[in-house]
Amino acid sequence: MTDSTWTNENDLMLNKPPQRIWQIVAVVVVLVATISFVLYNALQSGGTQLYLTVNEYMADEARLATRDVRVSGWVVGETIEYTQISADQSRLEFDIVDDLQNPTRRLHIVAYNEPKPDLLQNQAQALVEGRAGEPGTFVANKDGLLLKCPTRYEGEETILNEG
Amino acid sequence: MFADLGHAAIRISLLFAIFTAVGSLIGIAVGRRDRARARLWIESARNATLVTFPLLLIACAIMVAALLRNDFSIEYVRQVTTINTPTFLKVTSLWGGQAGSLLLWNVLLAGFLAAAWLRKSDERELMPYALLVGSFTQIFFLYLTSFPEDPFARAAFVAADGNGLSPLLRHPLMILHPPMLYLGYTGFVVPFTFAIAALMTGRLDDGWIRITRRWTLAAWLFLSLGLILGGRWAYDVLGWGGYWAWDPVENVAFIPWLTGTAFLHSVMIQEKRGMFKMWNIVLIIATYLLVIYGTLIVRTGLLQSVHAFAKSDIQWVFFGFMSGMLIFSTFWATWRASALRSQNYLRSLLSREAAFLFNNFIIVAISLIVFVFTNFTLLSEFFVGQEYGVGPETYNMATGPLFALLLVLMGVAPLTMWYRSSLRSLGRQSLWPALVALVIVLGLLVWGIRSWGALVGFWIVIFSVILTLLEFVRAARARVRRSGEGWLSALRQLFVRNQRRYGGYLIHLGVLVMAFGIIGTEFFQVDRQVFLNIGDRATLNNYTIEFRGTRFYQELDVSVAEAEVLVYDQSGRLLTTLYPHTNIFQDGQGMTIPDARSNLIEDFYMILVNWEGVSETGATIRMYLNPLINWVWLGGLVFIVGTLIAAWPDPLDEKIAAAEQKRFSLAIGD
Repeated sequence: MTDSTWTNENDLMLNKPPQRIWQIVAVVVVLVATISFVLYNALQSGGTQLYLTVNEYMADEARLATRDVRVSGWVVGETIEYTQISADQSRLEFDIVDDLQNPTRRLHIVAYNEPKPDLLQNQAQALVEGRAGEPGTFVANKDGLLLKCPTRYEGEETILNEG
Repeated sequence: MFADLGHAAIRISLLFAIFTAVGSLIGIAVGRRDRARARLWIESARNATLVTFPLLLIACAIMVAALLRNDFSIEYVRQVTTINTPTFLKVTSLWGGQAGSLLLWNVLLAGFLAAAWLRKSDERELMPYALLVGSFTQIFFLYLTSFPEDPFARAAFVAADGNGLSPLLRHPLMILHPPMLYLGYTGFVVPFTFAIAALMTGRLDDGWIRITRRWTLAAWLFLSLGLILGGRWAYDVLGWGGYWAWDPVENVAFIPWLTGTAFLHSVMIQEKRGMFKMWNIVLIIATYLLVIYGTLIVRTGLLQSVHAFAKSDIQWVFFGFMSGMLIFSTFWATWRASALRSQNYLRSLLSREAAFLFNNFIIVAISLIVFVFTNFTLLSEFFVGQEYGVGPETYNMATGPLFALLLVLMGVAPLTMWYRSSLRSLGRQSLWPALVALVIVLGLLVWGIRSWGALVGFWIVIFSVILTLLEFVRAARARVRRSGEGWLSALRQLFVRNQRRYGGYLIHLGVLVMAFGIIGTEFFQVDRQVFLNIGDRATLNNYTIEFRGTRFYQELDVSVAEAEVLVYDQSGRLLTTLYPHTNIFQDGQGMTIPDARSNLIEDFYMILVNWEGVSETGATIRMYLNPLINWVWLGGLVFIVGTLIAAWPDPLDEKIAAAEQKRFSLAIGD
């Protein structure tokens, strides 16, 4: 493409803008409307997900029974269990709590056919996306197990104090 | 002793950074009355910045020495290394944790600023102001490293051994990924400082853009590399068969990349047509603030993320600094608003400048959407009192159509002319590429592809690839006809003569190739998890695997559980043997290492699932079929080569800049 840079910029500055502002406004309005629609559609179809702690979830378990939510908590290492049910089915289970020092309220997490995440170990922070299963259990979605680094790597003191 | 030296180096750097601010301020203040004295102050301020860099390098060297010597009297060393950590990982532990990576941030920033100020002949008028603005960021980060995030802080007790780096970070890609991101982040500080300097001096021609063009491209290149390497690391290490999860920590690096991309495009309009001056200022300010915001998110764990470092209390200091810089830059942009008026107007919606405008509009819209979604938890908590998050599906649905529009524009925009193009000419040039793309897509439909989203995506990619390739062909053909040179030489000359344009088109090609790969994996990835005893077989699409057993062995400080899996095609022909394995470190932490059969059509990717349950006779294997995934990495490579070409110093450009500088100096009687 040839750049049409032969025109004197100063001459152009003297020209009055043609009456095309409305066209530009119309295009901008269409673009804004398109983006708003895309955004609205995405939020309607893809949806948003409620983020909860273990205590918040358990306090409202009945109401949340049919909803897809994300619960975060600390993993109780001794409860991690991996069972191969059949060749094509496996079950990964563990408990999460809000307070590792005082783990009274535990939420039992069950994940079917999910690989055991490398970071799933005692005191790791788990973010589990899923929905209520049998009473007292929370079933993770496919790819819904997200694990953060265990406390020992950094900020141990900060996190334990918060816990 | 070591710790004291490190402390001293950082704090002296802080003093020098403060001196840079004060010196440049005094230089500016006395400038009008006493030029000689002003020059002395400004030179001193500049020298102080130049000294900051080697001082911080010394601090880094001291930290590396402490890591190599296992000096567990330093808390940071205790956290990130162990006696048995291999030497090269000890060195890279410098950025394996919070305080160390902030030290690296500081040294890279100081390096960028020193390199920018070394070119003192560039901009004598902007220099004092740029020095002042640059020192603000340096002072802030040096304050963090000197006080709340001191890498040389003493440990409460001298431990016999350290905690060690997370195994997930002990990977070559993860070693390169953070420095690349930091180089990208810190690199964007340079164009920001010059933009604000231009606002403060009132020199609002495109001089600041010319000076910082290459810095911006370099920063953008490093940020791109950081993002690509991060994606590849996730694919190679995390074992979920993907490379991008729309996690907040990924997003906060992606958003400034997006606004930086918009900026790189819109500055061309300012250079060519004197338009979008205010917009460019807004974009570079936004990019800078987003860089600081990204650092805040990663450093403080403010948003729930799988990547974030530990929670920290430095968020208020960050917010304070960000607010300060926002107010400061907004004040100057508003103050100079009248001087930032466009010298021209948009004459037609079918013009090159309009195409750039649409490009900017779409990129900024994507940035805004990703920003809002990333911060959805904070926003929803603020507005409705409950935390809501947004999942990857929602991100894809919202940004997918906009990315598609952008890809179309990528192909069509180069066909437009400055000032005005005709619809007829655009239609004529794009008709055949559109039809060819349609024929190919119909072929895919007949072949059995039924996903409409994927078919539309493929059509867009093929259409834009053809148009982009035609740009090269047309220009090269013109050269061949005119000068009689060969095609290869003509193509080479295109890059030599107009590296920005053709480097840019190569970047577009890279993006389109990446998009091709992304469509393949997003729409057609399949997976299966299965338990197999020795000799058992399982099938996924056209592949059949046979489990041959697991072997266990020791490798340095790692215990390895490795499966042997034969891979057959549909006809029963042995294709390859894969060895997915799990490394178990001394502390019990596991690390899944996938293995894959890779080609340009697809990756047959495999992980060993339950190492605890693995026996010599059976194991659980998870298989993924990732169609076209390698086009993502191939596109990334093309993208990087294109950026390098576009950013390569152009002697002609340097001459123009020098001539302009000389003219300006003469004009002001300097």
